[in-house]
Amino acid sequence: MATKTVPIAGSRPVVKRQSLARRRDLGAWLRTALAVLLTGGFIFPIFFWFTASLKPFGLIFTLPPVFIFQPTLNWYSVVLGGVSYNDLMLKLTGALTSTGGGFYYSVPYILSSIRVAVASTLLVILLATPAAYGLSRFSFRRRHDLVFWILSTRMMPPIVAALPFFLMYRQLDLVDTYPGVILVHTVINLPLAILLLKSFFDEVPFDLDEAAMVDGATRFQAFYKVIIHYVLPGLSATAILSFIFSWNEFLLTLVLTRTGVRTIPVAASTFDSSTGGTEWGFLAALGTSAMVPVFIFVLFVQRHLVRGLTMGAVKG
Amino acid sequence: MQATGRMTFRRRKTRIWSPEAPWIWLAPAAVLLLVYSLYPLVFNVYTSFEAFDPVTKGFRWVGLRNWTELFADLRALNSLRVTLTYGVAALSVELILGMTIALIFDTGIYLRGLWQTLIILPMVTPPAVTALMFRLLEHANFGVISWVLYGLGILNPAEPLLGGTGKFALVGVVIPDIWQWTPFCALILLAGLKSLPVEPLEAAEVDGASAWQKFWLVKLPLLRGVLTIVILFRIIDLYRLFDYIYIMTSGGPGQRTETLSFYAYQTYSFIAWGRTAALGVAILVLIWVSTNLYIRIFKVEW
Repeated sequence: MATKTVPIAGSRPVVKRQSLARRRDLGAWLRTALAVLLTGGFIFPIFFWFTASLKPFGLIFTLPPVFIFQPTLNWYSVVLGGVSYNDLMLKLTGALTSTGGGFYYSVPYILSSIRVAVASTLLVILLATPAAYGLSRFSFRRRHDLVFWILSTRMMPPIVAALPFFLMYRQLDLVDTYPGVILVHTVINLPLAILLLKSFFDEVPFDLDEAAMVDGATRFQAFYKVIIHYVLPGLSATAILSFIFSWNEFLLTLVLTRTGVRTIPVAASTFDSSTGGTEWGFLAALGTSAMVPVFIFVLFVQRHLVRGLTMGAVKG
Repeated sequence: MQATGRMTFRRRKTRIWSPEAPWIWLAPAAVLLLVYSLYPLVFNVYTSFEAFDPVTKGFRWVGLRNWTELFADLRALNSLRVTLTYGVAALSVELILGMTIALIFDTGIYLRGLWQTLIILPMVTPPAVTALMFRLLEHANFGVISWVLYGLGILNPAEPLLGGTGKFALVGVVIPDIWQWTPFCALILLAGLKSLPVEPLEAAEVDGASAWQKFWLVKLPLLRGVLTIVILFRIIDLYRLFDYIYIMTSGGPGQRTETLSFYAYQTYSFIAWGRTAALGVAILVLIWVSTNLYIRIFKVEW
């Protein structure tokens, strides 16, 4: 047996005695086993939900849960494929059920969610980037208070804003419209984006602005031709996070829309699952479709996730 | 920040429309945020002295009626109690479990990156989807979590997590919160652990401290700053607790799981808008007081 220990992230200085090294090896394996167990516990609900979306009628409710089965795309064929509810029920149960068809077809909801999330993210970036630059680059009286004020706007629970915005939107004819929802999603993501981007701008040396300006660039040119390139990773992290938060937003969209704009969370909450019947298959299919994009996106921001979720307070 | 001196020198004569004036950079975002933060505040304070009349479709002045009713309202008191119970239960489990995960991940395991990536996923799952997921998992008859708890003898099928008399309904709605936000705590604490200075730990090692002592006497005190931030964010989230409740229990059975946010929503959907506004102001005051106290006591820096 070699005396070399496997280098593990975060391990203390390597001790070059064989027995000790081996004991550490064993310890690392045990800890890994524990980590797998914990991770598995947290992943299980997602895994279960995903398998439920592929399970044939009835198997969703079998206990103990079954994980080996003939997968079916029945639920997806209605939710994403537009097969009518009646046709599917006819196929599954051989009888017509009373519920009308078409209700579970969710592609319009997914498109709504995409439209809202993309548009609000673009707006957030457009507004937050200069603000973050300003906060990072200029010192002025009460700048610290301003930062705290921006932070405090993140503290307002959406329910407090729901009624005032609903009544204002009714006056402005913005209820149940894309501009209305996009605007609200933009505003609720702004504080996070500004503070997060500020933390990225803070890391770019001030000398770079100065140098660009000495070379004849104006302040604006220094900003969008030079400095912006150094915060591109931060910019994309901010964009992805704000996309995710818009994608997941529920309460304000619920209050400010009817049937014209319906995002995935709101649509999913209206599926009638109280009967414990077939709806769970549709829900699992829609839920899985809603999770997949955020899961893919989050892989790209993983490195900045801690910083993002704490609005720049903790560097990951 | 280190360039402050130089910058002030440069801006000794900043004209108002010059790109050296900070407000030009901040104005667009600030105006939007101002509307978002100020308008609801002013609106809610004003409307809390009014009542909406569904017949005339207008507000009329009722003086302090909403407020006197709110202070005598047992349902509001109940929702405050539910919110606080929920918060204490969720946060303590999340912190302990999160710290455990962070410590395990920090002390050297194989394929850490993979586990870390996987454990992030709950955090970004849409809360509405999470709520639906756990509604199925906690279903009294065919939920996997219920089934396991029945099997272990922890729970009796006569008293399920969701439904029934609602004895354990609050536990039922805390579970998704724990599932979603424990990884958040774990991840931030892990980041904190990773950036700990090496010297105090080495010194402790030299002094022969046990792993237990190292955690309580060295790591935990050094993690104070990170812990404060985690708790602050969870306090903020606590007041906006809505999605799980709306989808899983609608505040029921009875009002056993009715949080502040959900009660406010109920008054909103029953068009008791004067009450909604008063509740909104009350919630804002609560948040303002609790976060300010918290920030002062723990000296949160940004």
